Amino acid sequence: MSLLEVTNLHATVGAQDQQKAILKGLNISVNPGEVHAIMGPNGSGKSTLANVLSGRPGYTVTDGSMILANTNLADMEPHERAQLGLFLAFQYPVEIPGVSNMEFLKASVDSLARARGEEQPNTAAFIKKVRILAASVDLDPQFLKRGVNEGFSGGEKKRNEIMQLLLLEPKLAILDETDSGLDIDALQVVAEGVNRYKNSNNGVVLITHYQRLLDYIIPDFVHVLADGKIIQSGDKSLALELEDKGYAWLT
Amino acid sequence: MADLSLPQAVTLPNYFSQDRLALPAQILNGEDMPSALTAALNSTLHRERWKYSKTAPVLEGLIRTMNLPTIIGGEQAGVQISQAPEQNVRFSFDLSQAPEAFARLCYAQEALFIHIEQTLKSPLEIHHAGSTVPILISLGTNAEATLLEHFAGNLQPQNTLWISLAERSHLKHSRNSLEAAELHWQYLCVDIGKNADYLLNNHAAGAGLRRQDIHIRLSGQGANAELISAAVISGKLALDQQITLEHLVANGKSKQVVHNIVADGGKCTFNGRIHIHEGANGTDATLANKNLGLGKNATINTKPELEIYTDDVTCAHGATIGQLSDQELFYLSSRGISPEAAQALLSEGFLRQCTQGPLAEAALPILINAIKQEHDA
Ligand SMILES: Nc1ncnc2c1ncn2[C@@H]1O[C@H](COP(=O)(O)OP(=O)(O)OP(=O)(O)O)[C@@H](O)[C@H]1O
Ligand SMILES: [Mg+2]
Repeated sequence: MSLLEVTNLHATVGAQDQQKAILKGLNISVNPGEVHAIMGPNGSGKSTLANVLSGRPGYTVTDGSMILANTNLADMEPHERAQLGLFLAFQYPVEIPGVSNMEFLKASVDSLARARGEEQPNTAAFIKKVRILAASVDLDPQFLKRGVNEGFSGGEKKRNEIMQLLLLEPKLAILDETDSGLDIDALQVVAEGVNRYKNSNNGVVLITHYQRLLDYIIPDFVHVLADGKIIQSGDKSLALELEDKGYAWLT
Repeated sequence: MADLSLPQAVTLPNYFSQDRLALPAQILNGEDMPSALTAALNSTLHRERWKYSKTAPVLEGLIRTMNLPTIIGGEQAGVQISQAPEQNVRFSFDLSQAPEAFARLCYAQEALFIHIEQTLKSPLEIHHAGSTVPILISLGTNAEATLLEHFAGNLQPQNTLWISLAERSHLKHSRNSLEAAELHWQYLCVDIGKNADYLLNNHAAGAGLRRQDIHIRLSGQGANAELISAAVISGKLALDQQITLEHLVANGKSKQVVHNIVADGGKCTFNGRIHIHEGANGTDATLANKNLGLGKNATINTKPELEIYTDDVTCAHGATIGQLSDQELFYLSSRGISPEAAQALLSEGFLRQCTQGPLAEAALPILINAIKQEHDA
């Protein structure tokens, strides 16, 4: 049984009267334990796929289906999808001044626990856990007191996303260019975080432009997304081929 | 519009005749007080400042009985409380800015003079219950103090405070105006001397009408003023903040950040005027007023005004009216947080950015609750 099953997905972006078709019949199937890399030219619809899956307002699904853990995502609110086990590491993480990172993480963990009928973690233990996770992605505990992503550097924002991934332990993680803008050390920290998260029950969708990341996180499949569709799929060697030849030969 | 007038004839309190306090410039220049006050009351400037609040009820209240506030920390070394001013303390009374405040000082006849000669160990705390006698606080050279003010009184309280900061003195002023009232008028005038520092942490909830007049004068070179304010106005309540900040001389620095949440049915007026006088070179003045409208029928009037008569200034001045950011809401919901909880977190975050200082901890839960009540209703 696959973890994520996206079939013939069509989606548009924009207000009612000026909708623009972006996803044009996209198929992807992720089984538990698998890592899927999605590559593709700028503007091909990679972030759109991530946004549509996570339920970001502003997008309309016009055809096809998205099933996560046997549940149809179409009619679910973004927070319900997260509660079901979907996680999106943002290409551009949002800054939220005034709301501390720690407070935000607690609200998130509490919401997920409540939705799943689990007990909310005890505050002291929670704080300890978060501090350890922060340190494990090279984020100083001071970052936990600051506003969410407020004034964080590009790399710090990305590491903060990985820290959340490790804390929330979703069923499916979509990482939208989490490797972009990272220095070499940070890239390894992020990759190590993703590998630590990965297990035989969860799945990872990695959106990336660089095959370098795939040296650290070995994908089971590599897909090429162009003009709203997966036009080619293969194993890790496809990424190397793309690095070599670009996308032109496929489109 | 009918002309405004004061409820009674005004006579100067005795302490002016003792020659210890400088009279308002208008009087020194030979104008007679009744006509100076009447002219000021009916000036365009004044009408503009009272555009969104009725003046008459406040004027009628000027002659209402006043009581003494409760003062904590008044016995400590460095504090003198008396009925007459210290020698050599300069308060600024500007009839054209606030004729009603000066009139109230006159009607009261008595006032509370608090002089802080040296750095205080503990904060000076003033608890106002209802209309209190005018208070005039002065800090001596190099003195440092923390002033905490709490306001209560559910009818039509009026509170007037003048502050004068001598060279290199520092005052951290926090005030919580959070209790219900029919009509609460607060007047505050601060005169900041050379290289002196003034910080105001202002926290306010709505009332039938809560009117906050704040006049800050940077009158000594290198003076520094900071005003950080957070308010929540909900459920048919109103807040009217009128802030005038004057840079009178060179190298002053001022920063104002005012965050107001206006929820269903609330009404909020913010008028922030920065006046940079001729010769105030090297002034650095910023003002940011952000208003967050929640729910339906929130009324927000905001008017940042800038008058600059010097070229050599750095000035940033802005007002925004908005709703919670969709991006921020989505980020929170993508982590499993429900829309209601996300809204609460974000609006609390908006407040928290301007809830600081020693009274913040007391203010924040009350302000947060004021938002919540509206949403539960
Ligand atoms: N709100 C919007 N209104 C109009 N067009 C939009 C909107 N959002 C996205 N698009 C367009 O949709 C297309 C796909 O964008 P998307 O962000 O999914 O690309 P991407 O594959 O993630 O690109 P990149 O590699 O640059 O991140 C682009 O042409 C983009 O301009
Ligand atoms: Mg993208």
